Amino acid sequence: MGLAAKSEPQIIGGFVNDSFQQGHLLRDRAAFPSPKRIEKVPIVIVGGGIAGLSAAWRLHKSGFKDFVLLEMCDQAGGNARWGENEITAYPWAAHYVPVPGRKAIYVRELFEDIGVLKDGKWEERFLCFTPQERLFLYGRWQEGIEPAIGLTQSDREQFRRFEEQIHRFRETGKFTVPMEMGFSEGNAELDRISFADWLREQRIDSHTLNWYMNYCCRDDYGATSDQTSAWAGIQYFASREPEEKGPLTWPEGNGWIVRRLLERVGPLVRTGQMVHRIVQNGSRLKVFAGDAEYQAEFVIFAAPTFLAPYLIEGMMPLRTFEYSPWLTANLTLDRMPRSYGTDPTWDSVFMESPTLGYVDATHQTLRTHVDRTVWTFYWALAEGSASQNRRLLLSSDWSYWKEAILHDLERVHPDIRQCVSRIDVMRMGHAMARPTVGSIFSTERRSLAKPHGNLLFANSDLSGFSIFEEAQYRGVVAAEHALRRVSR
Amino acid sequence: MGILLFITVLLISACGLIYELVAGTLASYLLGDSVLQFSTIIGCYLFAMGIGSALSRYINRGLAYRFVWIELLLGVVGGFSSALLFLAFAYSQGFQLLMYSLVIVIGVLVGLEIPLLMRIIRDRYHFRDVVAHVLTFDYLGALGASLLFPILLVPHLGLVRSAMLFGILNAAVALWSTWIFANQLARTVVLRSLCVVVIAALCIGLVEAKRITQAAEDNIYADEIIFARDTHYQHIVLTRFKDDIRLFLNSHLQFSSRDEYRYHEALIHPGLSAIAAPRRVLVLGGGDGLAVREILKYPQVESVTLVDLDPEMTRLFTTNPMLTGLNQKSFLSPRVHVINADAFPWVDTNTDSFDFIVIDFPDPTNYSLGKLYTTTFYKAVARHLSEQGLMVVQSTSPMFARDSYWCIAETIKQAGMLTYPYHVYVPSFGEWGFVLAGHHEYRPPTSLPAGLRFVDLKTMPALFQFPPDMAPLSMPANRLNDQVLVHLYDQDWKDISH
Repeated sequence: MGLAAKSEPQIIGGFVNDSFQQGHLLRDRAAFPSPKRIEKVPIVIVGGGIAGLSAAWRLHKSGFKDFVLLEMCDQAGGNARWGENEITAYPWAAHYVPVPGRKAIYVRELFEDIGVLKDGKWEERFLCFTPQERLFLYGRWQEGIEPAIGLTQSDREQFRRFEEQIHRFRETGKFTVPMEMGFSEGNAELDRISFADWLREQRIDSHTLNWYMNYCCRDDYGATSDQTSAWAGIQYFASREPEEKGPLTWPEGNGWIVRRLLERVGPLVRTGQMVHRIVQNGSRLKVFAGDAEYQAEFVIFAAPTFLAPYLIEGMMPLRTFEYSPWLTANLTLDRMPRSYGTDPTWDSVFMESPTLGYVDATHQTLRTHVDRTVWTFYWALAEGSASQNRRLLLSSDWSYWKEAILHDLERVHPDIRQCVSRIDVMRMGHAMARPTVGSIFSTERRSLAKPHGNLLFANSDLSGFSIFEEAQYRGVVAAEHALRRVSR
Repeated sequence: MGILLFITVLLISACGLIYELVAGTLASYLLGDSVLQFSTIIGCYLFAMGIGSALSRYINRGLAYRFVWIELLLGVVGGFSSALLFLAFAYSQGFQLLMYSLVIVIGVLVGLEIPLLMRIIRDRYHFRDVVAHVLTFDYLGALGASLLFPILLVPHLGLVRSAMLFGILNAAVALWSTWIFANQLARTVVLRSLCVVVIAALCIGLVEAKRITQAAEDNIYADEIIFARDTHYQHIVLTRFKDDIRLFLNSHLQFSSRDEYRYHEALIHPGLSAIAAPRRVLVLGGGDGLAVREILKYPQVESVTLVDLDPEMTRLFTTNPMLTGLNQKSFLSPRVHVINADAFPWVDTNTDSFDFIVIDFPDPTNYSLGKLYTTTFYKAVARHLSEQGLMVVQSTSPMFARDSYWCIAETIKQAGMLTYPYHVYVPSFGEWGFVLAGHHEYRPPTSLPAGLRFVDLKTMPALFQFPPDMAPLSMPANRLNDQVLVHLYDQDWKDISH
């Protein structure tokens, strides 16, 4: 009958941005070459993610330019790194910032500086375009991620009760972004149980509602709701009350913000410089990286805090910090898959999937017609133990992950294999801090978070969880502390 | 020999079921309500099979001969059933009558097949085995057909050709039955040649099927289709009835040549005539060149830049003699520059300034098109307006989509311009709306180009009056991050079409 079998198009790709090799050198206490030169710099920033770049931005904006930022990778940005191909720029991890509330003063200041907020108005082309999100459930798409179709009477009643609870927490003003602003001892109880247990206490047993809560924890914290502190679960819902329909997003995700920051502080950023040792030397600190020894008055340690005991001489091992392993992938699509029922959205999520779905990098285009695009696929390996998942991440080859990703997408886009030409996969063993039970009110976290001495910690994990606003806040606070004391 | 017989049973059962599935699917496609269509068709078909079985008792002689004839008839009726139904839907009122008649005829014939066959072969085998085998293969055939139909036939062959293919199988069964039952048949040569004729006719049908569906589709549009093309961006259809040429993009009417002058005169002249010395004009959309035709009536205009997404559309309206007759070869004027680009990025990156800007896009039926009706878009366009410049926006119908119309007007206002809404009656469209906008107060024109058929100075003020049923409504602005317009538009048209 002339029916030729269609051959499957070739899909190419591989692992990109691997950085665990460098991390393992530190872990295994490998020998590093001794320095060939000494550089005296008043302030050294360790780590070029959002925290480190924000510290640099604050120093630079105050007119203080006598500092260096040392970044281990060849590209600055950390979790806000981005990539680019002939179709579009795309994010490698963090891809949006919720429209900041009034309390996020530093984020608002930054956004005014880089043209996102003008005269109290958010730049419209940076607000996520309609339609924002969709969820695939019961074999079809719905607009929005919160399940709205197929709800039973009891589901609705539980959603309503949950919202009332959250409303009460929000009204207390104790759940804020950044978290430090509203942090209150009165809520210590909530840090003693998991979010899943707290939901059970509230008699919330709706499968749909629990799926949604678990999804939110996996999405923001890389943890399931029974691994997440109830305080953090409530923080997710109660801390935000956006004044504008958002979030803020760009084709390259938060990489757009990194680009704006680098336009300002780029010349002071040194990439490919892995710091391998930090030593107190009287009132000064010695920082060893590459072939140089930096002698600094202040060190802003903006790299993930779990690295600190491996670098800083004499520092005790940490007990409370846990991290979630993640996998992200960028898929190049040479044509758009058939999509029934809805216009394509920015974020697409599939109910009952272990993954977090994907984000479309060309969604923020002004064009009316798009032929090719890039999707960023997100997968927090949340179920089970983190160390086991880390081993799985490292031991499975690229085609294992390629197939796993395509299998997941095939459930909602049966023709996906005909559309994708390339899948690049990024593996992150310690992608973000996990707000586990007890971690938020732990004395270890709180004492490291308080700036004192000349070694200042600034990573977002000091808030207990890794989000843009926390990283930016910690970076700016550390920079201000150093600015007030540094000799000029 | 035995196995050939039972393959025959399998095939005839598959053919019967395919005809039934084709009828059910076609009726669901064309009439909707698939539950009703499939239920009634399956019911009629099974009932007709019962009639066929009952009738089989009246056939006493020449069983094999009649069996061959039944197979041939089934091949013809079943094979052409789908094509007939398509044409009937397009050209007659009797689609349902024909459909149920066909289903009953096919059902009766299929109902005759198995009883006859069992009687023909009952002397060859034990009755116990005959019943068991015939029914087993009958049901197997049904399974095969019901799996083949959705997975292979409909997606790869379509309904018309699937029916033809199984018609050929039916006729082929007739042909080889003349060998299987040769000892019970006389005049096999005549029968065999008849079979060959039927198979040949169906084969021709199989090859020509596309023409049949094409003929049917032509008639679904009211008038004769004179041009149809799928471009990279849209489906362009041109129809003609006598002197009326109509353009459809993705099945939405864009103009009728009988009254488009009302639309295009009203789109251009109230604005362009009001500008003291218009030199540079920008048209966004309007790939048919009709708005440009009106603009070229102003000798002061030195250049017209037209930005349209689809190169095939502008090429068609540059080269086709019938269409250049409509736009008076406007795209061939040395004053006109056609740019094929996506309008929003073009507006966003280009820095030229214009005295008059015409925005004539398709209605905001989806979020992609909706971007072209947002505050951000109008702000970007406004940066191209010269100091005394004006822009005019095609804004859907203030009558049929009143919420949408006033939402667009509000959006332009919130983009920082003064707005002057007006409307016009275009018979093929109904009441249609535009919004004039600029940085300064609009003063109506004091003169117009000669030879206009609709717009004149005396009646122009009336265009700016809105009677109560189209009067302004308070609406939110349409924004990139909150496209309320697409929802409003959807709701507006739903309200009047139900």
